[in-house]
Amino acid sequence: MSDRIFGGVGVILALIFAWQATVIEESFLSDAVGPKAFPLIIAAVLGLSSLYFLLKPDAEPTWPTFGRVAEIGLAVAVMVAYAIMLPELGFVIATALAATYLTWRLGTAPVQSIIVGVLTSVGIYVVFHLILGLSLAKGPFGF
Amino acid sequence: MTLTLTRRAFTAAAILTCTAFGAHAEGFTPENPECIAPANPGGGWDFTCRQVGKSLQDQGLIPSTMQVVNLAGGGGGVAFAEVVNKRSDSNDLIVAASSATATRLAQGAYPGNSMDQVRWLAAIGADYGVIAVAADSELNSLPDLLDQIKADPKSVSVAGGSAVGGWDHLKVLIATNAYGIEDVRSVKYIAFDGGGEAVTQLLAGSVQAFTGDLSETKGFVDSGDVKILAVLSPERLPGEFADIPTAKEQGVEAIGANWRGFYAPGNMSDAAYDYWVNDIATLYASDEWKEIMTANGLAPLDLQGDAFQSFVGDSVAQIQAISREIGIIK
Amino acid sequence: METLASLGDGFFIAITWQNLLLAFMGCFLGTIMGALPGLGPSNGVAILIPLAFTLGLGATPALILLTSVYYGAMYGGRISSILLNIPGDEPAMMTCLDGYPMAKAGRAGEALALSGIASFFGSFFATWGLVLLAPQLVKVALWFGPAEYFALFTLAFATLGGISSTNQAKSAFAAALGLGLAMVGIDTQTGVPRFTFGEVHLYDGIDFLVAIVGLFALSEVFVFLEHGNLKRDSAAPKMKIGKIVPSLSLVKSCIPTMFRTTGLGFIAGVLPGAGASLGSFISYSMEKRLVDKEGTFGTGDPRGVAAPEAGNNAAAGGALVPMLALGVPGSGTTAVLLAVLLALNITPGPLLFTQNPDVVWGLIAALFIANFMLLAMNIPMVGLFTRVLLVPPRILMPVVAMVSFVGIYGISGSSFDLLVMIAFGVLGWVLRKLDVPLVPIILGTLLGNAMESNLRRAITIDNGNWGTLIDSPLSILLWSIAAIGFILPIIFGKMMKRRMRMARDEEGAIQD
Repeated sequence: MSDRIFGGVGVILALIFAWQATVIEESFLSDAVGPKAFPLIIAAVLGLSSLYFLLKPDAEPTWPTFGRVAEIGLAVAVMVAYAIMLPELGFVIATALAATYLTWRLGTAPVQSIIVGVLTSVGIYVVFHLILGLSLAKGPFGF
Repeated sequence: MTLTLTRRAFTAAAILTCTAFGAHAEGFTPENPECIAPANPGGGWDFTCRQVGKSLQDQGLIPSTMQVVNLAGGGGGVAFAEVVNKRSDSNDLIVAASSATATRLAQGAYPGNSMDQVRWLAAIGADYGVIAVAADSELNSLPDLLDQIKADPKSVSVAGGSAVGGWDHLKVLIATNAYGIEDVRSVKYIAFDGGGEAVTQLLAGSVQAFTGDLSETKGFVDSGDVKILAVLSPERLPGEFADIPTAKEQGVEAIGANWRGFYAPGNMSDAAYDYWVNDIATLYASDEWKEIMTANGLAPLDLQGDAFQSFVGDSVAQIQAISREIGIIK
Repeated sequence: METLASLGDGFFIAITWQNLLLAFMGCFLGTIMGALPGLGPSNGVAILIPLAFTLGLGATPALILLTSVYYGAMYGGRISSILLNIPGDEPAMMTCLDGYPMAKAGRAGEALALSGIASFFGSFFATWGLVLLAPQLVKVALWFGPAEYFALFTLAFATLGGISSTNQAKSAFAAALGLGLAMVGIDTQTGVPRFTFGEVHLYDGIDFLVAIVGLFALSEVFVFLEHGNLKRDSAAPKMKIGKIVPSLSLVKSCIPTMFRTTGLGFIAGVLPGAGASLGSFISYSMEKRLVDKEGTFGTGDPRGVAAPEAGNNAAAGGALVPMLALGVPGSGTTAVLLAVLLALNITPGPLLFTQNPDVVWGLIAALFIANFMLLAMNIPMVGLFTRVLLVPPRILMPVVAMVSFVGIYGISGSSFDLLVMIAFGVLGWVLRKLDVPLVPIILGTLLGNAMESNLRRAITIDNGNWGTLIDSPLSILLWSIAAIGFILPIIFGKMMKRRMRMARDEEGAIQD
């Protein structure tokens, strides 16, 4: 069943992709092929391969229970929050928080998680910013 | 180990510069001089930032190391938007720019942004455009090539390192337009990823002509693989380039320079603006910078402050006019 | 002979205490950066440029430092591929396919040592290729016009059928998905935005680094979360490290593989626009087609580890040929190195070998030195690297996730890229569940734009005539290899199987 749903999603994706390709606004100056042809070929391959496993699905994968999916969903939410808060909070604080959360959810005791999170954050900061000189997000405290 | 080494070098440099510093500081000195390179490390803008930052520090013109921040995206549009929206009153910030920035501004490729939202500081040099063919080509002058394009545009493929409507393409169009070819859209332009790839395809014989910058063509001329038909400068260039004829002297009124320079946030204080303009002007006038320019094939373009501001304004207007004429923008 | 004398001069220039120290530092930092997901050879080199400038290094020492980083990163990429199933950089993607199964089978030490030897093999012979053949090889690059490049890329996609033995339709789907993602952004040919939905951040397209880190590294984190609390249930069996030194017979059995893939990878590297990823990819798929009779590739076959590693390191050496001799970067890393050369007032190009012989030969000697140093560094360090497996995943995985984030953010400075990366992480997790291979997606995003551009260039040059694609002997050859070697077997293989089955059934019927 999963493959059939996936195939259906694939076909819809191919149709949307093809439709989006046809609405590309071409400029006056174009080459002989134009910007639409190749995306349309891709859409065709995408659609045909999706149809194939829509009709001939593989064996059903084992999906995790709802609780585990929620766990992943929460982790995604934390990561998204991290990406958005990074420029506001500064690298070290944001990373320490996110790393602590992930470590905790993967089964480490809370206090130990905080220690690991802070160490991860500071360690990365030292290696990437102080040694390699990458510019990481500056927070209100300058790190 | 690396850490202490760099830190120590920085401190040493900072101590040295403190003594040399102060010669022209008029009330403003940047605390954390910062240069945004609107592209990933390794590109042209990145090098503009890094090289100027390094030279400014070497000559003691800034009090501390220039921090280079890479902010890639949208062909410079992401950085432009960031400077306009979030950093518009920063006094410590300069941003690398070039003709490509002006071209995109002119063609509206930075949605919702225009050139008057920032203050243009100064140029640090220019790379003049060239039109070239393979050394064994039968074509020997720019009019030879343009005549052939006029007679049968399908027979000549011109390769360049920018997208259609980009700066390399516009240079050919400026030349064909000046030569009286009415429908410039008939000119067959093939876009490659950078000038190097375009020259390689010229040597491979896939295309018949090449449009690019002098600096990227120089090595192939020296080796005898490529023949430059014309350089798009107002008059002949000095030194080793003196043998190359200009388009103008061949009767084609076409000039095209790929300049490099900087802009600053729109609400930068006048004191800071003057500081940076003076700084870059001092750098530009130095012998060290002249050496760097020669090595990189950059030709002189001595424009700072208001003069640079109006130069960018003019070039945006010119690009807008050509782009409208050939239908890239409406 | 003259060449060897020049090479001798090169060693004379390169062997000073300062240069050896720089080479050591470069190799070490390069290996680390190669192993960290998100930082690859091109970023690694770019990141260390300021260091080279700050130290006030001259042209030759600066190049020695940076090329050591380059070679080091090419070596380092394999480490996380084998230990974590996360490619440290894009050319190391193929090493995951057999390296990780080997590690799971308790042969991590062997896999690391063997891949180190294969890396050495590839880059050592590629450097000799650079010494002896550079001027002649430049001509190879000139055989390839847009039509030939298009045929080459098509060949790469045709070999996908050989990579994943599972559902071919899913490989095709993954490849098309990758190609489709590559289409996002400003069209390089006409400058019009495609599939960007007015979002400025998408104008430059989707960075394949963002895709690869999301698909591989973050999805790995999700897989661990899915299996839940790692402390209580011992869902993840404890990894064994195994032997650290591979047996001589194992290395010997891989030597023919290394030879073939070194040649293949080197040629892929020489072609500007093909590069190391294509080198390791083609090396792996060709080798699988050639020697994998029992179908052990993909399940921890040592040859499947040796092939891509020899291939991608040979390609790294090959990519220096067009950079030095033509001034054309053959890969992202050589583009950065090229910029460094220009900043050091050296113009690469046809005359570099005659105008700056000291730089060229010093550089080549440095490559040899870096190579031996890396071998000497990597084999004893296998024991150290494998310690990573002793770190429990509940601590290791968050570190991997955070390093992935910082690798992407530190380069582009964009939160948007991080969000795209998370989206790729979720996508990667779902696709893994559905048994869709991830490698074709990366191949698609890597090669999509070049493939399309060359198609359009070829046809525009020939005024709209699609026949131009099969107009030269070389392109006909490439198309034939793609068709005979890879596409026909998939179609006819099935037919043959069916016919054989039918024949057997008939026999059975008669016997009845």
